[in-house]
Amino acid sequence: MAATASALSLAVSRREKGEEERQLVQRAQSGEEAAFEELIRRHQQRVFGLVSGILRRREDVEDVVQQVFLKVFVSLKRFDQRAAFSTWLYKISVNECWDYLRKKKVRPLVYEADLSEEQVSRLDGVVSADQPASSSDRAEARDLLERMMEKLPEQDRELLVLKEVEGFSVQELAEILNLNVNTVKVRLFRARARLMDVYRRRLHSKPEQQVEGKEG
Amino acid sequence: MSMNSENRNEENNYVACPQYEAALEDQLQGALRGPEAVKLAGHLATCAGCRGALEDAAVSARLLAIAEPAPDPGAGFSRIVMARIRQELQTNEGKSIWSPFVAVAWRFAATAAFALVLLVSFDLGRHSQWVADQPIVAENRVPEIAPERPSLPASRDDVILMMADTSHGKQ
Repeated sequence: MAATASALSLAVSRREKGEEERQLVQRAQSGEEAAFEELIRRHQQRVFGLVSGILRRREDVEDVVQQVFLKVFVSLKRFDQRAAFSTWLYKISVNECWDYLRKKKVRPLVYEADLSEEQVSRLDGVVSADQPASSSDRAEARDLLERMMEKLPEQDRELLVLKEVEGFSVQELAEILNLNVNTVKVRLFRARARLMDVYRRRLHSKPEQQVEGKEG
Repeated sequence: MSMNSENRNEENNYVACPQYEAALEDQLQGALRGPEAVKLAGHLATCAGCRGALEDAAVSARLLAIAEPAPDPGAGFSRIVMARIRQELQTNEGKSIWSPFVAVAWRFAATAAFALVLLVSFDLGRHSQWVADQPIVAENRVPEIAPERPSLPASRDDVILMMADTSHGKQ
């Protein structure tokens, strides 16, 4: 009973928020700059997350996000509000990222050096530990995870980051990427399996690396 | 992809049954309820591949939890964006949306003007050729036999004289 009430109030709050945003968009469409600035403030965090989930180079993210909002501002009058503003904004963001990558011809970053035994065991410790790891361990684990993610196909990396790191829902990802919801779920599940494959390869390659190191 | 009895692939990773992958993702997110959840539970009890793949997926979720989301761009970001928008708008003020069409129209007009010049010069060439041929034609032409045009009377007296002359002639 309490759960139903809370779900109902959540739905009402969402609808009110949606209506408020619709009005904000209308005001921005009529040329009110303050309304557009408010829209930027509301969505900048998620657009940043989305763009940095797709682009790997952090230094490019801010520039691309600015470009996204500029494009949104220019084409806002053509937006008919049939879809949610956020969905439209995220689609523009994704297209802008792909355009950017195409223009720059960015190649995947390749880390030549593999992970050392110590690094792998530290990563393993952070993943399996019940207690929170130290901030330095977590920072190193993050770096190692980033290296492993670079080994994944672009599409897998994008989906995993957007879903698990930036917090986009499966429904949102389906809308943004023009995919069927079930397709997103299947791709996500397979991407997880590939990430685990990369993770395991590192675990199994430990002794070989040591031997190679000694021989060298 | 070859698999052994435990539904593992060549790399020794668990492989889920393709028809259950979407449901497994839902299960991982805690979004699977009702008859679908019951159906998956029944399948998991008998399928080692799906069980193993689900466990792997759970580890991957823990692994990904290490990553941090993108940092907040900060309160000043919207002001920076608005400043950039104003700057871009000022830059583009002179350039209307028609400017590409105007450029094409100018090119078309220039081409048309060039074609016109060519046509006129060709026509002039032909005309000068015709003018050059003209005396020969005139020389060869048989002179027309036509009465001389009477000159117009210069004054009122001449008019009277002419009328007198004409009436005289008639008589």
